[in-house]
Amino acid sequence: MKHLNILLAMTVVWSAMTGSLSPLNLLLGVAVSALSLWLVREQVDATASKVRPLRFLLLCGLFFRELALSAIKVAVLVVQPKMRLKPGIFAFPLSLTRDFEITLLANLITLTPGTLSVDVSADRRLLYVHALDCSDPAAAKRDIANGFERRIREAFPL
Amino acid sequence: MTPDDLIHATTTFALLVLSLALALTVWRIRRGPSLADRVLGLDMLVAIAIGFIATIAIRTGFNLYIDIAIALGLVGFLATVAFARFILARGLSPERPQTAPATTGARQPKHGKARQAARRKRRGER
Amino acid sequence: MEAMMGAEPVGMAVAVIVIVLLVAGSLFSLLAALGLVRFPDVYTRMHSASKAGTIGSGLLLLAAGIHALDGAILLRAIAGFFFFLLTAPVAAHLLAKAAHQAGERLHPVSVIDQMPQDKTGSAG
Repeated sequence: MKHLNILLAMTVVWSAMTGSLSPLNLLLGVAVSALSLWLVREQVDATASKVRPLRFLLLCGLFFRELALSAIKVAVLVVQPKMRLKPGIFAFPLSLTRDFEITLLANLITLTPGTLSVDVSADRRLLYVHALDCSDPAAAKRDIANGFERRIREAFPL
Repeated sequence: MTPDDLIHATTTFALLVLSLALALTVWRIRRGPSLADRVLGLDMLVAIAIGFIATIAIRTGFNLYIDIAIALGLVGFLATVAFARFILARGLSPERPQTAPATTGARQPKHGKARQAARRKRRGER
Repeated sequence: MEAMMGAEPVGMAVAVIVIVLLVAGSLFSLLAALGLVRFPDVYTRMHSASKAGTIGSGLLLLAAGIHALDGAILLRAIAGFFFFLLTAPVAAHLLAKAAHQAGERLHPVSVIDQMPQDKTGSAG
């Protein structure tokens, strides 16, 4: 069932990229999507997960706002004549368990102001995050836990 | 002044700014000091090249350039990933010794063999 | 194919949007490159390249898509923008992980490093 959804989404992307909605092109899109899905069939997790659409849109909105803010913040930091940096790597304790949730969180963290995810520990309990301002790791951890992690859990309930 | 003239003038400005960015990035690639810095510089170089292509697409009105820019983005991502795997497999060759910051985890000095190989490689280059 | 040449003249509103995107995109690229030069170590440089750099090239691509005045091309440009947005953090974090495992040290101004470096798996 989930494979069908992925196939549908890939076909939509295909028709968007090729810029044509003719039946023949859609058929080609389905064929290409099926072929590529078949190639990665081992890696695709077939268990469907629930999504709350509204919460998911909210997460997307948060993502774009944070992205714009982070780009501007880095730009401002770069042009300052004397950069006040306190960089460091701190370990963030994960409460999310599923792979795609951790991936999503890591990507979101990378695109937030001043933080960049470096690695996940082998047991998937710790996420190592590099921060430009690491003078207060506890506050940074709290921000992530109350911001992105909570939003992700709300968007994808177990 | 027509809108087209304005856009043309702006593309000239954008091309100049991007050239400056390109020069700075090339300086970083030349300077190093480690392999990771150079790979990061190449990643940035691809991003700037995409910007160049997009600007030229606007300047010439030849919209097929946009597809080329997207394709370059795809290739650039794969190249960065491949380089990262390469660093994982081979290790770095630092040219500038640094003192470590306060750590909680144990730090281990680099493998003697790997360091020797790195030095040999560097000598070969110069 | 008529999509090849955007020969028709653009309106003032479109021109203003394109100009703003062009200036913002090129300036973000320049600042990202400047960050690449000015930041002290590879991890802080990664911040500059993965955020400002992505936004810079993405905005320029959007400008090109809007300037084309063609829905299909604009859609393609937006898809490309999303693609850059999705891949930039992946590339950055893979590179940071590789650098850290290979022994690249943080700059002395760094205050803390809680990540163990003596991991056995060099992930072949």
